Amino acid sequence: MQREGSAFSGLGVVVLKELSDHLTSVRMRVLEWLVVLVALAALYGAIQQIKDTTAEDPFLFLRLFTTSRDPLPSFVSFLSFLVPLMAIGLGFDTVNSEHNRRTLSRILSQPIYRDALLFGKFLAGLITLSISLVTLWLLVVGLGLLLIGIPPGAEEIARSFVFLLVTIIYAGVWLALALLFSILFRSAATAALVTLGLWLFITFIWPVLAGAVAQAIIPPDPRYTALGLQTPGTAELEQILARLSPSTLYAEVVVALLDPTTRALGPIYLSQLQGAVLGAPLPLGASVLIAWPQIVAMIASALLLFVVGYVIFQRQEVRA
Amino acid sequence: MRYGLIAALAAFAVLFASAAKSDDAPKDVKGIYLMSDFPAVTVRPGETSTINLRLHNYDMTPERLALSVSGVPAGWTATLMGGGQPVAAAMPATNSSVSLELRLDVPKNAPNGTQTITVAAQGATSNLQLPVAVTLAKDLPAKLTLTPQLPQLRGTSKSSFEYQLGIKNDSGKKLTVSLSAHAPQNFDTTFTEQYGSQELNAVPVDAGQTKDVKLKVTPPNTAAAGDYKITARVAAEDAVATTDLGMTITGQPKLDISGREGLVSTRASAGKETSVPVVITNTGTAPAEDIQLSGSAPSGWKITFDPKQVDRIAPNDNKEVQALITPTEKAIAGDYVTTVRAAARGESASTNFRVTVTTSTMWGIAGVGIIGVALLVMVGAVARFGRR
Repeated sequence: MQREGSAFSGLGVVVLKELSDHLTSVRMRVLEWLVVLVALAALYGAIQQIKDTTAEDPFLFLRLFTTSRDPLPSFVSFLSFLVPLMAIGLGFDTVNSEHNRRTLSRILSQPIYRDALLFGKFLAGLITLSISLVTLWLLVVGLGLLLIGIPPGAEEIARSFVFLLVTIIYAGVWLALALLFSILFRSAATAALVTLGLWLFITFIWPVLAGAVAQAIIPPDPRYTALGLQTPGTAELEQILARLSPSTLYAEVVVALLDPTTRALGPIYLSQLQGAVLGAPLPLGASVLIAWPQIVAMIASALLLFVVGYVIFQRQEVRA
Repeated sequence: MRYGLIAALAAFAVLFASAAKSDDAPKDVKGIYLMSDFPAVTVRPGETSTINLRLHNYDMTPERLALSVSGVPAGWTATLMGGGQPVAAAMPATNSSVSLELRLDVPKNAPNGTQTITVAAQGATSNLQLPVAVTLAKDLPAKLTLTPQLPQLRGTSKSSFEYQLGIKNDSGKKLTVSLSAHAPQNFDTTFTEQYGSQELNAVPVDAGQTKDVKLKVTPPNTAAAGDYKITARVAAEDAVATTDLGMTITGQPKLDISGREGLVSTRASAGKETSVPVVITNTGTAPAEDIQLSGSAPSGWKITFDPKQVDRIAPNDNKEVQALITPTEKAIAGDYVTTVRAAARGESASTNFRVTVTTSTMWGIAGVGIIGVALLVMVGAVARFGRR
């Protein structure tokens, strides 16, 4: 039966309800504490490291995010695997739990469309993630101010803010994936396992596999190998394959945003560096432009994953 | 007979001895003489002068001679000195002489004129008199001449001009000659030894001798082209000599290159031509002509100029040209260094321009398009699959 009226009527109700569920759930609290504690540990390490370094740095504040001190990884590398974990944790049982509790048909008997239900669930998850990420960001900025004592410049604030937005988008990708699997699989445990498995594969195994696959497709030229260089064709293919993973995309965007001296994210020929003033920072616009394809890819993949989930959900039998 | 032999031997000895002695004296001169090389001298009032006298005995038996000076004007002091102390008598041996000095203390206020002082030597047989004419003159004139070897030099404002000057002391005594030069303002003048770098203020010159010194003139860098006159002056006591030296400075152009208002950075998009105003200034003293512009940049870049060359820039004038910089298509974003050069004949200037390359925003727009397509897919899905 074709829908009448707006697809979004009842969206607000769903969002508010889901949001309150998320924010009061024990799972959310555990995830929050995990993220905050881990982030604080990374931040503490970074601040200790910065305090030990005497070198002058025009972007000292950005170093808060990227500096690491053994044995802890840096704040951004923590985020790059904790954010997917949070998103998956929030999203893996979005739809299938309604099925299992047999509440889905009850909700849909209300004047709420399926569209609105799915949109609402996704938006509520995204808002929840945004709230925690914004809090985390403010925590970092505040602690940085307190412990380093150097006020950040406008450029640094702008860069770290864009970094925050990109992190929310990155969370959105994983949330959409988790939502898709929660629609596909009736069992929440299966959905969680599959999503986590895929995350592990994409984040940790794929970057290694990409190199092997690239070398299999375009074997390295022995002339380059003899010089200790990567064959340009192989390197390019490897990068293209690695960029299929959102984790790679996110890592590249972070490098471009938080290290203003980054000039390019792909392989660079020496001829392109001739006459270049190395170490000169790029303006924010140029940095965003460098990372723009990656940002676009993340936004588009989040949208497409959601659309796939949406189409499947719309065609599903609810009463079963 | 025996006595006769002894007498003959003695006579021979005397003869031999006298023959040996009389080598440096004329044979026909005989007697004791009181002599002076210069019996008429000029002295200055207020000074002590010494007149050399000599008492010579030619083939005479030694005799005691009492010495006296007469005719000494009032206020003067005349002392006869022998062997460094005042003496009153002398006794020259046969065929030898005794040196005497007549020391004259002339008071400062003694009037000019000639006085005759008579020195007398009175002995048993001889009565010698030597009148010495003493002329009082206020001053003996010192005289200097200054001769440049090359009085006219030519060069640029950056070169240093070296004049060789010969100082001749034409007076009768050694003089310490002070050196000075008068040059236009901000010209630096120094005197040095002819072969050496020691700077001098004064140089001693012996009587009748010539000494060469070097006058080095360094014009200021900003000296305009033209002829300049330098006066070298040497002075000792009251003798002064000057000479005029000529100096021709040929001007030289000096180029300076920078951006408009000193700005040497610009922005450019990869693969797109950007024009940068470049100001060429001639800070030299002569017009710069036929100025060629060139630039160097990373490979694949293009730098051209509009106009390609400037015909003439007058001193203290400037011209603006446009540098057209095209970064290569493949340039990655960031800062690059390019060099812009201007060269006139023998004179060149260069400066670095920092070019901030921004990559094209076309792909950014394409990205927005992709997101738009993804949204359209979503809207399409909502429209197509929306159901109760």
